[in-house]
Amino acid sequence: MKKAIASGNFLRSKLFWAIVAELLILLVGFILRPDFLSIQLRTLSDGTTVLFGTPVDILNRASEITIIAMGMTLVIALGGTDISVGALVAVSGAIALKFLRWDVLVYNTPGDYTVQPFYLVILLPLLACTLMGLFNGALIGKLKIQPIIATLILMVGGRGIAQIVTDGKQFTTQYTPFKFIGNGSILGLPLPIIITLVVVLGVMLFVRRTSFGMFVESVGINPNASRVSGLKSGTIILIAYVLTGFLSGISGLIYASRISSNDSNNAGLGYEMDAILAVVIGGTSMTGGKFSLTGTVVGSLIIRTITTLVLYFGVVSEAIMAFKALIIAVVIVLQSEPVRNAISRRRDRIRTQMGGEARA
Amino acid sequence: MKKLLSLIVALMMVLGIAASAGAITIGFSQIGQESDWRTANTDSVLAAVEAAGWEMVYSDAQQKQENQVQALRNFISQGVDYILFTGVVSTGWDEVLKEVNEAEIPLILLDRMPEQSTLDAIDYAAAFGGDFVEEGRRMAYWTANYVEKIGKADEELNVVILEGTTGADAATGRQEGIMEVLANYPNLKVIASQTGNFTRAEGQAVMESFLKAHDKIDILLAHNDDMALGAIESIKAAGKDPGEDIIIVGCDAPKTAFDAIIAGDMNATIECTPLYGPFVVAALEKLIAGEAMDKTLIHPEEGAFDAEGGIVYSADGRVTEKAADKIGERLY
Repeated sequence: MKKAIASGNFLRSKLFWAIVAELLILLVGFILRPDFLSIQLRTLSDGTTVLFGTPVDILNRASEITIIAMGMTLVIALGGTDISVGALVAVSGAIALKFLRWDVLVYNTPGDYTVQPFYLVILLPLLACTLMGLFNGALIGKLKIQPIIATLILMVGGRGIAQIVTDGKQFTTQYTPFKFIGNGSILGLPLPIIITLVVVLGVMLFVRRTSFGMFVESVGINPNASRVSGLKSGTIILIAYVLTGFLSGISGLIYASRISSNDSNNAGLGYEMDAILAVVIGGTSMTGGKFSLTGTVVGSLIIRTITTLVLYFGVVSEAIMAFKALIIAVVIVLQSEPVRNAISRRRDRIRTQMGGEARA
Repeated sequence: MKKLLSLIVALMMVLGIAASAGAITIGFSQIGQESDWRTANTDSVLAAVEAAGWEMVYSDAQQKQENQVQALRNFISQGVDYILFTGVVSTGWDEVLKEVNEAEIPLILLDRMPEQSTLDAIDYAAAFGGDFVEEGRRMAYWTANYVEKIGKADEELNVVILEGTTGADAATGRQEGIMEVLANYPNLKVIASQTGNFTRAEGQAVMESFLKAHDKIDILLAHNDDMALGAIESIKAAGKDPGEDIIIVGCDAPKTAFDAIIAGDMNATIECTPLYGPFVVAALEKLIAGEAMDKTLIHPEEGAFDAEGGIVYSADGRVTEKAADKIGERLY
């Protein structure tokens, strides 16, 4: 009996419908072309064997958004939002490339070298993004500035900082360890997927094994009541933004590594919207409170699956945006409370009718 | 106090203008620094004007039209002698450009042209811009001739295209040129064409999908070299040899493309030069000497580069140069 109620709740949950939507989109792809879901092993010219197939691409290319969306989930659960994440992605890449190439006039050809030690190339972008997250968090958590206004500062300023770091230039590198982050693979699995797994598990453990997750939900539902009952809501908000900044830095390193260069104009462009969308599709409400990290992962995969589907089936360029918007609209309508309730009521009715017949 | 201050400022300005009387002043309203191409474009014009010994008033609009309108009005009130102008968008320039006309300052249009109705309504001394359709044609010509050279002229070859930002002049123009020429080569079949937004990251992601959706891809035409460079990574990740298994042709010809051609990862790049300095100065010299130029759009001289050189890439028989010979001269 208890189990039945639990499964009934699950059927009513947004997470369930997000999973259904993802499976439906994959199914459509599979019906149109069965090889859409095929995975094979390929040997590359350097002798490594990698998994090759659209499902791998979806997981791989969803990495940047999934990683950021982990932090964004907590930020949104706290009733906030962070629109600076895309700009932070650009900052991260710019700093990494600056330290790889340092003095372009001296080292004017991109080659398999790094001018500054590699650990600085990795740590300094992450540190810078963490500090920017701290800036966001301090404005919002301590000075009580509205999140969208506070993070707007770095959304606008971040790309400017990225431009200054690299003197407005686009650097390219051929440094193998750096290229490995975005293009390498371990046991056939692209490294970005592995990094994403580590981040997702790490955030889940941090949130659910400590009381941090509970605090987040409590502050998100009612910040005043939480404060009165002794929670330092300002500090909890601060931590969420710092984490989001740090994760944007990781995402930025993956982005820069994939293209072996920094791109201050385009890196992370629109990521804030994709990350927010992933969180919302995943079942976390923009008004704050309860959140689902698993849901966010599914949300991020849905967004990437749609993009991949569009590319795979060659929807004409002019129609891509409208097509994506259409699918997302369908997913969100499916998830809306009235629709979910209507579907589960209908299911309940059918069940009671069947039950009645069996008894009679 | 305030009056005194403004008097001093006015006096200084008068003296300043008097001191630079005789010198020619040129106002340049540029879009902003959006890409390496744009940076090279600005540097080239600034350096050439400086070398010619003229005063330059440079204004960086940071991608905003209102900044450019303001800059043009400032040029008018400062009384510059010539105005160089690249518009961030193609519409909404009628009013301010007419003000420039009324101030009788000769206007030279660079790179991005305002829409045709504006061009018809205003006066300008000269216009310089790239020929995107011709660039597209050249990409296709080069491909057809290269295919013939390696003895595959009779084979059925599958072509994929990475388009630029949907709706951008450079993307529509290049696509038009490519399709126009490919129509003459039935063995070169376009099997997929998608936008990669002129960026490396999207060029890479789109090519990755192309490689999953199509088993046989022989040729990649990318509307710019950045997308081609992104695609090269995807091709390597699919276990294929870029430049060998898949022929790759890009457009723009920055230094990074030369590197890729020399490394054997890319086959050719069609030039879209940002180096406007020399011919802008030549045009200014003509105008200063009192010669009139007309309103026809002048296209800069542009080349094409590949690994070996010597391949015909245009209908009028121009041949490519060897990338390795030319990389030393590349500044951007």
